Amino acid sequence: MRMRPTALFGAALLTTAAATAACGGASGTASSAAFDPKTCQGGTLTVLNQGGLSKFDPATLYTSGGGALPSLVYRTLTTRQRVAGEGGFKPVPDLATDLGRPSDGARTWTYTLKDGLKFDDGSPITAKDVKYGIERSFSPDLPGGAPYLHDWLVGGADYKGPYKGGELKSIETPDDKTIVFRLRAPHGDFPYLATATQFAPVPKAKDTGTKYQNAPVSSGPYKVEKYETGKTLKLVRNPHWSRSVDGQRLACPDRIEVTAGLDRSVINQRLVSSAGADARAITTDASVGPEQLARLDSDPALAKRVARGVFGETKYLAFDVTKKPFDDIRVRQAIAYAINRQSVVNAVGGSALAAPATTFLPEGKAFGQQPYDHFPAGESGNPAKAKELLAQAGHAGGLKIELSFPNTDGEGYGPKVAAAVQDALKQAGVTVEQKPLGEEDYRTLVGKPATQPALTLQSWGADWPAGGPFLIPIFDGRQILKDGGNFNLAQLNDPAVNKEIDQINTLTDPAQAAPRWGALDAEIGKKALLVPLYHPKTVVLAGKDVKNTYVDQWRGWYDVASVSVK
Amino acid sequence: MTWYLLRRLGAVVTVLLVLSAIVYALFYLTPGDPAVLACGRGCNAERLALTREKLGLAEPVYAQYWHFLEGLVAGRDYAAGPDVDHCAAPCLGYSFQSDQPVLQLITSRFPVSLSLAFGAEVVALLLGVSAGLLSALRQGRPEERLLTGVTLVGYATPVFLVGLLLLMVFCAYLQWLPFPAYVPLTENPGEWARNLILPWAALGLIQAAVFARITRAGALETLVEDHIRTFRAYGLRERQVIRRHALRGALTPLITITAVEVAQMMTASVLTETMFGLPGVGRLTVESVGSVDLPVVVGVTLLAGTAVVLSNAVADVLSAVADPRVKLI
Repeated sequence: MRMRPTALFGAALLTTAAATAACGGASGTASSAAFDPKTCQGGTLTVLNQGGLSKFDPATLYTSGGGALPSLVYRTLTTRQRVAGEGGFKPVPDLATDLGRPSDGARTWTYTLKDGLKFDDGSPITAKDVKYGIERSFSPDLPGGAPYLHDWLVGGADYKGPYKGGELKSIETPDDKTIVFRLRAPHGDFPYLATATQFAPVPKAKDTGTKYQNAPVSSGPYKVEKYETGKTLKLVRNPHWSRSVDGQRLACPDRIEVTAGLDRSVINQRLVSSAGADARAITTDASVGPEQLARLDSDPALAKRVARGVFGETKYLAFDVTKKPFDDIRVRQAIAYAINRQSVVNAVGGSALAAPATTFLPEGKAFGQQPYDHFPAGESGNPAKAKELLAQAGHAGGLKIELSFPNTDGEGYGPKVAAAVQDALKQAGVTVEQKPLGEEDYRTLVGKPATQPALTLQSWGADWPAGGPFLIPIFDGRQILKDGGNFNLAQLNDPAVNKEIDQINTLTDPAQAAPRWGALDAEIGKKALLVPLYHPKTVVLAGKDVKNTYVDQWRGWYDVASVSVK
Repeated sequence: MTWYLLRRLGAVVTVLLVLSAIVYALFYLTPGDPAVLACGRGCNAERLALTREKLGLAEPVYAQYWHFLEGLVAGRDYAAGPDVDHCAAPCLGYSFQSDQPVLQLITSRFPVSLSLAFGAEVVALLLGVSAGLLSALRQGRPEERLLTGVTLVGYATPVFLVGLLLLMVFCAYLQWLPFPAYVPLTENPGEWARNLILPWAALGLIQAAVFARITRAGALETLVEDHIRTFRAYGLRERQVIRRHALRGALTPLITITAVEVAQMMTASVLTETMFGLPGVGRLTVESVGSVDLPVVVGVTLLAGTAVVLSNAVADVLSAVADPRVKLI
């Protein structure tokens, strides 16, 4: 019901843009000419969003790197480095003095808190508050956070949170400044995980359970003045925060007002118009659509207000190799050869919004991606090679398969992509029957191996910029979840793969781990368990008076903690 | 009259019971699992079971439905972390996704929807009735043809198209009005109206087209009736004939149609609220269906059902007042 107006508004915009279209190749990032961090303080920043305010409790939020808005209120043990470019892939200390000191082969991680840290009521932040914040994220009353802590911490799988389960013994706080984590297995990626909002301190005395999100205690530059689920979030300065204790957040605006529930096209139209307060507005979730891109090309002034970036993400075709006919590797290879990536990229808006993918890992050194193309389909597919493989597999007379996918295009793997896949496979003699499903139904069906359709369109994004969170949920045989929430859709349980994953997990130096993840990806790629289609790109607009609007590499969106409206 | 009202009330309760049962059944037939969605990415079996229990999904469907009915009459308790949350009767359920009682969620959104509907109805009635009367009186002339054409186009245009055009013209290009953002009436009446002008217009124009056509038909029908001829023959002034008698005759179908239009209006306001980013009940519905927030969907459906059934009953009574030929038995 929401998609139709969006599509229509887009069409209307496209028409007006086309009417005034002139050739122009403007590109680049938003202006930061007059920006000076020393004098950037002041003003009210408006954030216009589609969604994202359905919850604000640090225990229930599922963020990458602490999120855009949550990390303004919740500081964590570590955080993402707030710089433009590749440096944005790095975790840096936040509440802690360093990224953590591993011992016992990366099974134990020790952190020390910085001096002078305070909550918004002036009381000191202690290690016990951090421990309590993590503990409450285990409560079934507060579901939704990232699953890693449950899997990694000793006793985490059975712990039911502080309301019913007492304390979690694997988190120790020998004094007010020190916190020690004991893990079941080595995890070199722990400093990345410690950027999640679950690592934000929560004072036990102020915990109101499910009501906590309405008046959370802030450790960051802003505190919550007003929060209304799904509607608004108003942030004002936290008087007990200062840049002297926080090296990452500039926190330039005095106030930040977030409105959620707006239509994507309306948000972009408002940013284009930049009328009144909209001149000092940004968005943290509404990408510029293909329909607005045409306008950017013809309007250089507008193009200057656009920032481009990438969030590590891959859209792909997933096979369930336990089901026919995909149990035969030749059928899977044939489909990989037949894919026309150019038409897939066009279906999602062209090369400004998507890059063709032949690897599962996204581009970027942080992921360790090693370029490979095991089943070269070229730009537009190789149907001859595909037919040959299908004939070998005993399908010379053609093949009929079903493809399931979400029935909306919002997430970039809906009907348009399905149609492009269908067309390409037709060239190779494969008849694809489309099975569109409601998005939530789709997720539920796919998440249970018993109900999972054999061929589906999928998307995987990075929980943090490293190879591990990309490859482990998708290819680790011990991660096959029978009761729902499964992502190992190939049902791969290969002892060699599992063993390599365990070994890389012991590495605490990302520079050593990254190439190993890359090599593992290239190796698994030979099995043709999935067909990478494309890596999406982000193009985002800002109001005309917003400064220092770079796209942070970790998340592929504006870093709200860095922008200025003065 | 009392007997009539009692019977009507009984029918309302029955309709709503059936409606709630249907909504419950429908949601359990679809494969979407609220527990999986709430639990998030990579949730394991044990946590899923805990979440299911917390969401009250561990029991069989009929038991859940029974507890829902109990809650309506007696209220219910819900675990909320360290404390227990009491949801007082009439408890429409509890939304675990937003951690609020459903009734509270709906009432917090209700002023927005009411503001929208009220203004739109005023626009619709003013424009619709006057256009309808005018075209009835100017039958066969160019004005009538023009008005008929305009109302036909209005009737056939979906609300989101009108909304989009208004937004593009008045907010994006002319910049006469702000992009709508709801400001409560109690906070700033001027801004409240300024922000709602476009949504009122979008929703009201379409309603107006319906009203215009009904008014025109009703007025034309009445104008040729014997008693009107008699009034004219008595030498009553034309203005009096129209205001006192022709309009009154046209009013009966208008009242009935207004009641039917309440349902239409709710559907259209879902689109209008989404289009203009107004946080009303309509958008709450869209959001809740999208996130499979069953308690909220059931609650909104029940309230919407109540509104439709009640407005029909009210329309019946009003018709009797406006037209003595209608009897309530």
